[in-house]
Amino acid sequence: MKLVGTSDLQARSSYQPTIHHQGDRWIAYIGHHGGSDEIPAPVNPQTGKAEPNGTSIVDVTNPSQPKYLRHLPGQEGKYEAGGAQMVRICDGKALPKGDRNAVYMLRTFGGEAHEIWNVADPANPVLITRIAGLKDTHKNWWECDTGIAFLVSGAPDWRTRRMTQVYDLSDPAHPQKIRDFGLPGQEPGSTGAVPTELHGPISTGPSGNRVYFGYGTNKGGILQIVDRDKLLNGPKEPTADNLRLPEIARLPMSAFNGAHTTFPMLGMPIAEFARDKDGKTRDIVMIVDEAILNECNEPRQMVWFADVTVENRPMMISSYTVPEASGTFCERGGRFGAHSSNESMAPVFYKKMAFIAFFNAGVRALDIRDPFHPVEVGYFIPAITAATDKRCVKIDDKNRCKVAIQTNNVETDERGYVYIVDRANTGLHILELTGPARAVAGLP
Amino acid sequence: MRRWPLIAFGITLLGALSGAAAYQQAGPRQGEQRTWREIAWPFPRDGWPAGKAFRCDGCGSDVAISVRPKIGFCNCDRGVADDDEVDRVADVDLMSEHFVPLAPGEVVRVADMVGRIRTYELPPAAGARHAVGIAVSRRCDLLVAVAHGNGDASEIRRAALAFLATSEMTRWTMAAMDGR
Repeated sequence: MKLVGTSDLQARSSYQPTIHHQGDRWIAYIGHHGGSDEIPAPVNPQTGKAEPNGTSIVDVTNPSQPKYLRHLPGQEGKYEAGGAQMVRICDGKALPKGDRNAVYMLRTFGGEAHEIWNVADPANPVLITRIAGLKDTHKNWWECDTGIAFLVSGAPDWRTRRMTQVYDLSDPAHPQKIRDFGLPGQEPGSTGAVPTELHGPISTGPSGNRVYFGYGTNKGGILQIVDRDKLLNGPKEPTADNLRLPEIARLPMSAFNGAHTTFPMLGMPIAEFARDKDGKTRDIVMIVDEAILNECNEPRQMVWFADVTVENRPMMISSYTVPEASGTFCERGGRFGAHSSNESMAPVFYKKMAFIAFFNAGVRALDIRDPFHPVEVGYFIPAITAATDKRCVKIDDKNRCKVAIQTNNVETDERGYVYIVDRANTGLHILELTGPARAVAGLP
Repeated sequence: MRRWPLIAFGITLLGALSGAAAYQQAGPRQGEQRTWREIAWPFPRDGWPAGKAFRCDGCGSDVAISVRPKIGFCNCDRGVADDDEVDRVADVDLMSEHFVPLAPGEVVRVADMVGRIRTYELPPAAGARHAVGIAVSRRCDLLVAVAHGNGDASEIRRAALAFLATSEMTRWTMAAMDGR
């Protein structure tokens, strides 16, 4: 993989990037965690003011010269307590009841709210609405063709930090709540063991009629397959029976691994099975764990491929990790392991290549055309900069710190550019594929 | 006539023994040292490394406790803020998934860390009638303990907190939280 361009993102710790084709421009919206102990609110050079981390809006039309348009401050607070980590974009003309001239940005506001902004003029966003009174908001999914949003929140009285609040955001100015959803045992008033918390869902919309929920981040993960229609139209009172009703199946993972991203790739033709009478195509869900602890102080978090063709008997078929010895990554500092994948379903890479953010091992490009045997075909590890923050572990009661790249998230655009962002403040790197990796994607 | 002293001695001895038995069932003798001895970690492997487990001799109702750190599990900002958090993290589910809280929890301090403690009733299959869940935090890390026994829940709770407050356990706790 080859570096095309960079932006320092004002040295803010980064989470979700979303790249949107907006008129004749390409705009990157990048969510940020809260600030650090040392710099709780970095100075925005455009305003000269210290601003709590929020959302960076960057014009990447020319990827070799990204133009930083605007920093939209988020909630005050450090690390995961502040910022505005998550961001999704829908055009008003795609939403059933949206303003056709608007471009809507759905973002979290720290842990306490979800906000929708009109970013038709990306340098001058306008707040449209806010859904507040929450805790621990996180990794949402928004269907642009229906407006249905699966908002990850912590709702009052629920026995879990994070669950799903389903909203109709087809008219972003007037959000309509549909229901709360989670695993039985998480609902208010229940007793006994509390199932592991939600990390994030991905929906296939009305045509696929499935929502794939990932629970657990780095431990006790669960892939839950849910009937979208029953979820939206079934009984909504949060009882154990009503929560169970839309569930089709679960794939429980080892206690060692969690589910950060559950990325569906349905109907994949498998070349090896081409002459088989049945099972030529398979429905695959790629599950990405999240590494949490620095310097390998936990079981390896990696990538798993599940065959969900027979929905009530989902099965893991393969896995992928960066070989630790290939870079002695456990010694480099910070986290080593997977965090997340690209989530764009644009044809340029969908069902052909996946990109995995692997913290201090950078980004990894996988050839997934045969998901039973995923193969790494490219990688890129950014260089640290003066802005790269340290990561520490405790040794004999004292902090021992190292400065290391922490590639946290990755996204792609329809042109085939790959965008990676860094949790340790190193900014945005825009990449393109080279050599055999480019051929896998069918790029010229 | 010569058998009468023997019979009287036998009656006295029986009375003394049954009295002693009843006293032991009621609880430890005043001033008697409760002795906690380490036992094997009693739960199957899960996502967190095993900690230490102990059984109490002299606590009166088969009391045992399991303690371990959960590094990187806590909400770094709020700590153990409510009872749901204790239900979720304190390992009571390892005793039985069907535990039922007896009452709202309370704030507790263990080895200079603040959190919450809550008592639970367990179903018969759990092997103990009551459990006490404890969860305290330091920044993003948790220390959790689950004590259990067949006696009064408040007595199990008292015994567990007294044990966790011993200098030996405080030392171990701090070392375990530092990953040593």
